Amino acid sequence: MSTVSGALIPEISAGRKRRDRVMRGLLMAGTGLALVPLILIIYYLIYKGIGSWSGSFFTTDPNGNFFGNPGGIRSAILGTLEIVALASLISIPIGIAVALYLTEYGNDGVFANLVRYFVDVMTGVPSIVFGLFIYIVLVISHAGGSGFAGWKGALALSLLMLPIVIRSSEVVLLLVPSSLREAALALGAPRWRIIWKVVLPTARSGLVTGALLSVARGMGETAPLLFTVSVAFPVTFNLNGIMNSLPLQIYGDITSPRDVVVARAWGAALTLVALVLILNLIARAISRRSRLT
Amino acid sequence: MRTTRLGGVAVSLAAALAIAACGSSSSSSSSASAGGGGGSTGTSASGGSAAVSGGTLNGAGSTLAQPIYQQWGSNLKSKGLTVNFNGVGSGAGIADLQTATVDFAGSDPALAAEDKKGMKGPVLQFPVAFGAITVSYNLPGVKSGLKLDGPTLAAIFSGKIKTWNDPAIKMLNSGVNLPSTAITVVHRSDSSGTTAGFTTYLSDVSPTWKSTIGTDKDVKWPVGTGAAKNSGVAAAVKQTQGAVGYVEQAYALENGFTYAAIKNGSAYVLPTIENTSAAANGIQVPADLGISTVDSSGSGAYPITSQTFLDVYKDPCKDGKESSSTAKALKSFLAYAFGAGQQTLGSGGDKLPYAPLPSDLAAKDNTQLATMTCNGSPIS
Amino acid sequence: MEASATTSGGRSALERSSASRLPDQALQFGLTALATLILLLIGYFFVRLIGQSGKAFSTFGASFIFGNDWDISRNIYHGAPLVIGTLVTSAIALLIGVPVAVATALYVTELCPRKARGPLSMLVDLLAAVPSVVYGLWGVFVLAPKLVPVEKWFANTFSFIPFIGGGGSTVTAPNYFIAGLILAIMILPIVSAIAREVLATVPSENKEAALALGATRWEMIRMSVLPYARPGITGGAMLGLGRAIGETIAVVLVIGNAPTIGHHLFNQGYTLAAVIANEFNEAANQPLHASALFAAGLVLFVLTLIVNIIARWFVRRGTRGMRAPEADADNTLSVYTPSTTAGRP
Repeated sequence: MSTVSGALIPEISAGRKRRDRVMRGLLMAGTGLALVPLILIIYYLIYKGIGSWSGSFFTTDPNGNFFGNPGGIRSAILGTLEIVALASLISIPIGIAVALYLTEYGNDGVFANLVRYFVDVMTGVPSIVFGLFIYIVLVISHAGGSGFAGWKGALALSLLMLPIVIRSSEVVLLLVPSSLREAALALGAPRWRIIWKVVLPTARSGLVTGALLSVARGMGETAPLLFTVSVAFPVTFNLNGIMNSLPLQIYGDITSPRDVVVARAWGAALTLVALVLILNLIARAISRRSRLT
Repeated sequence: MRTTRLGGVAVSLAAALAIAACGSSSSSSSSASAGGGGGSTGTSASGGSAAVSGGTLNGAGSTLAQPIYQQWGSNLKSKGLTVNFNGVGSGAGIADLQTATVDFAGSDPALAAEDKKGMKGPVLQFPVAFGAITVSYNLPGVKSGLKLDGPTLAAIFSGKIKTWNDPAIKMLNSGVNLPSTAITVVHRSDSSGTTAGFTTYLSDVSPTWKSTIGTDKDVKWPVGTGAAKNSGVAAAVKQTQGAVGYVEQAYALENGFTYAAIKNGSAYVLPTIENTSAAANGIQVPADLGISTVDSSGSGAYPITSQTFLDVYKDPCKDGKESSSTAKALKSFLAYAFGAGQQTLGSGGDKLPYAPLPSDLAAKDNTQLATMTCNGSPIS
Repeated sequence: MEASATTSGGRSALERSSASRLPDQALQFGLTALATLILLLIGYFFVRLIGQSGKAFSTFGASFIFGNDWDISRNIYHGAPLVIGTLVTSAIALLIGVPVAVATALYVTELCPRKARGPLSMLVDLLAAVPSVVYGLWGVFVLAPKLVPVEKWFANTFSFIPFIGGGGSTVTAPNYFIAGLILAIMILPIVSAIAREVLATVPSENKEAALALGATRWEMIRMSVLPYARPGITGGAMLGLGRAIGETIAVVLVIGNAPTIGHHLFNQGYTLAAVIANEFNEAANQPLHASALFAAGLVLFVLTLIVNIIARWFVRRGTRGMRAPEADADNTLSVYTPSTTAGRP
């Protein structure tokens, strides 16, 4: 209180000035500190990872040879793309549909808020728990004829991506001006046509952004795949069998005592981060180019 | 090329979606064996080895034997047989075979009665190779061959000996300049046949160990850092000065580790291929081939030598829900394992540093292999 | 279902009676069914998890959480070392991560040049784009080897402080602190993004009033901004905590995976999530062990649930009645922000 009344005097005492400088300096230092790990991680990823990037790194599979060249990461990249593509095919349409329900029908109703609440809860569920769930429900029971399978990993990932898609889509759909909807309603358009012709096209770029961010998140996840996909070396397009993936390849390679294999982990990590960052940047670019607001 | 690949993705996506849409009905058609590599069945033999049936086999388990299975997989790939092996540890491998999520398991210890009880049907176990479990250490200035006897080793791994210049170690190693570095014990954090072999040895040589900690694939370590898999322990030993860990010979050789000579009888024995093979001489072979080479008393035998087994269902079609072509591929893989595959093991050159099977044991494996069936009828 | 019917009834004033009501109803029904399905899925998920972990809880009771003895070979699963490891690493993450995150958010919203705001926020957000396995890789091969000597020096120099001292010889290569530090880095972007959003809701009148009274920038922050934003920032920190508790892969690689209670900060330990990742494969067919791991998953789930509920309550309280900030569609973390800050019209 005394400071406030003191502040009525235009002069600022040296002590207060010093305190201000120190605190500003601390906040700035904190910001600098926050950037240190980012710089260090990017630096080490490039420093240790770029060396293993070569043509054959991306065009050969891990081969299991005990001596010599351990092979590249082709099957890991393709496996990740397949699993994430399937997870996206599941989670993005469902996620946008649920978001549509929330904004167009549910509004502030009790049920809609319940859905909202539990979707929020889902974002907090540790990703390994999703893996456990899929294991109990689908892996032990040999659903689809095989134990571990790519599509089961994709389902685990889609459980993780779903709440992200729902929440980000809802935010974007809410930004569609209600005047647009009302204008269309006034013209006698049925609601499904309004959603299809007005709401979705208006919100498109935002929806794409949210979807891409969820894909980026899903791509980097390791834990949900541990007990659902297992590990294989060769390229396979059979999502009903075990397959390779980038995060699991990295996870396996980290614990190798062979320097060449650890080098492959760095190269694969650089690849994974590059993929995730590219998706993030595309998402940002899209959202920046056309903002609803 | 590109379009066909994309087409493949689309088709498999559609298939998986269809399966997903059907819910978790377990009777959907299985295409597990058809995918993967070349897919051609019965590729003719090349390089003098027996004919190999094409297909995809999934295995999991022993990290001690992981380099063997992965190398064999690499060798067989050109013959149309894809062998995936996930080194998750012996315990996990057995669990995966029990749930039939894999076609074969790799396990270092012989199957216990309760392991067999958890299986879906009768199981065959085949000894495949022998590996020495080295006591590897990271101690700059101290070369390989640090002499250790059983009780001292037990004292180190139970935390009673805390530094490298402890009198107990000094007494066994007169003339070696031991630093005062603290000992960091590194052990496995996952269920492991390597751990089973190592703790079996420690229990054999130390009654205290037997009564307080015991023998298992997973024990409650009184001290030390846990690392996953043989490779994880090797990596931790490599990264930590003063560390000591038990890793399979192949991992130790691969990293140029320094390792201890362990006392057997009156001699100190280094983990070489010859000494590992010596452990397999004159062992008793029970009817189910469940041998144990740990603490073998044979002269010149490295005492911490572990056998490793390949476990499969006797009738993989009935109990493992395999197709007859997968069963055929499995049988041909096993035949390779006890035949041509054995020639990839041994010392020197580009051979995998494991001791191969003595010929009489390999013969017993092959005799047992002939008893495998598919839905009751022999696999041709 | 009934609730949704009434809400759409509330909207019916806007709707025209039309011949094409049928597709409308079908769509509404379909979307409602889908939303219901999500709820059922979460419910089923929870029920299965409880069902699977029942055996462990009925066998060990409260000692599953409070007992200190996780021994697979004797089939005893008393998970105190895991619970404590989870709490210790998360606490370290909060103590380090939250102050840095809040400082960053304050600097970005209140002090730095307007032009630098976007790029700075984006850089901090990029930390969230790094997959956890990459944090693990970096932690094992870069952070841990560089940090352990510092920890040894620290433990030697400050050996009189409980839980930290004890001399360099007790420092193990993987330990609680390294895991906590990695977690701090991982929660930093989440906490910082939420703090930024909350700070953006502080009315500029408040700040201007403080400045007009002659307050320095820091005094303005301390007296007008922080009190206003505190609940929201607390909520953000709690959401970060939820993330730290559940993180698996990065922690597995640097925690040491020893089911013992470390006696100080630089000892190895274990966490609930890490034990699942390490042991689940082998436990699949050992009913009690598997059940214990499911129980660990359930404890993890419930812990994160409680933390998230508290977090959302705080954030909601912190932003209630305020102008909703511009919805940040290009923010990586917008999903972490609770519904009330999400810019509802």
